[in-house]
Amino acid sequence: MATSASQTLAIPGQLLGSASKYQPGPGTHIHESNLYSSLLGAVHVVQPAKAPGPVKRLTKITPAAPPAELPTISVSRSGVSEKREVLPEVGNTVLCRVVRIMPRQAVVAILICGDTVLDAEWQGLIRVQDVRATEKDRVKIYESFRPGDIVRAEVISLGDQASYYLSTARNELGVIMATSEAGNTMYPVSWKEYRDPETGLGEPRKVAKPY
Amino acid sequence: MADRRRVNGPVGATIPPVFEDEEVQTQETQRVTRSRAPNGIRKMYLKTGVTPSASGSAYLEIETSGKDGVSGLKLSCTVHGPRSLPRSSPFSPHIILSTHVKFAPFATKQRRGYLRDPSERDLGTHLEAALRGAIIADRWPKSGVDIIISIIEGDQDRETSGAQGDDTWDMMNALSGCITVASAALADAGIDCVDTVAGGVAALVKDGGETGTARIVIDPISSEHESIEAACCIAYLPTRDEITNLWFKGDMPDHDMGIYSELVQQGIQASKLANRVLVESLGETVK
Repeated sequence: MATSASQTLAIPGQLLGSASKYQPGPGTHIHESNLYSSLLGAVHVVQPAKAPGPVKRLTKITPAAPPAELPTISVSRSGVSEKREVLPEVGNTVLCRVVRIMPRQAVVAILICGDTVLDAEWQGLIRVQDVRATEKDRVKIYESFRPGDIVRAEVISLGDQASYYLSTARNELGVIMATSEAGNTMYPVSWKEYRDPETGLGEPRKVAKPY
Repeated sequence: MADRRRVNGPVGATIPPVFEDEEVQTQETQRVTRSRAPNGIRKMYLKTGVTPSASGSAYLEIETSGKDGVSGLKLSCTVHGPRSLPRSSPFSPHIILSTHVKFAPFATKQRRGYLRDPSERDLGTHLEAALRGAIIADRWPKSGVDIIISIIEGDQDRETSGAQGDDTWDMMNALSGCITVASAALADAGIDCVDTVAGGVAALVKDGGETGTARIVIDPISSEHESIEAACCIAYLPTRDEITNLWFKGDMPDHDMGIYSELVQQGIQASKLANRVLVESLGETVK
């Protein structure tokens, strides 16, 4: 994907272009078919990926080429991009720490969303039916998470007033770091067990598949 | 309200004594008359990013009427957020704005208390109305943003006596300064806004005694005129050409209904001038 960064500055309310020429990216909003900036920062224009050319086969009927995609225009505060707060959105992969476990849910504190370390304290909830994809009715929270574990999860909903709803129902989601009852960091042995290297004892967790 | 937690100083004016120069032989203090054009605003200094620990911050100074180069209004604004709402608050699909405006106890001629009084709450409500029209609220569900403004020096000329000038009109100048500085701090904090908001004040003033005619001036200082009949404070979005907050106060002549729209137009002019300062200072932030 070809990128070209132009260093024009934009302030909130500045006209960036027409909506027929650009796609709106983060930091912009549309008003009356025009794109305006909503943030203070530098303007970036990203060209879309070029569609592959048609395959040369005389006997094949190919549909008409899809309309060319528009370049995406976005505004971001370059240099202090880590400072900008992001909100966990549906579909994001987040890293969180288990705070409390209850019979039918685990309460977690969301620490990292995507690549950004969060400033604000967001709370998340992993319900018992979202822990894994199979045998949902026979999940025991105590055998999937423990307080203090670091969990990789996916946001499935904005949730209610207090917490986001998260899910670990995929192979690569689950506990990525856990401490044993003796206090040592454990290593994973299977999809449902971590083992303490010093004592040799195993503890049940819902383990994330290491990349 | 009785503030029993602190040992408060005596209630009353806190004007330090101003000693006259030996060369100046004036018998009575001359009232400073307005030297600016009726459609000119005072010089303004605005800088963002002054508080590193906050998400966004800004500082505003406006020069006073008494002496050249001496500032009369000093405001400091910090923005915290977007941050998560407390657990007890109900679900909200948009951002919750909370504004706090506070005069420092030493800011005005009459010493103020440490707790907020109704006039400061009033300023906070007007500020919230002005900013709510500019923020794109539904990009930040379940979040809150706190805007805290400290007025370090109110817009009151210390050289003039307490009899001249009126406190109520100075509130309008303070509000327009609050709107401009809060808009700069919000842009610094990275909260999505539709446009930059700037505040402006226009007033119907009367000079020349009973026979004087009323005229409209912008950015009024109450000590420069004999009497201010009415004033209005406008919060204006220049690109969208929209007003987000409008505050009218005073006695309007009932024979001329056009004065209302004329005052609003002049208020918009004042906002546009303040917006130019705002845009330039935001441009310096990113460099």
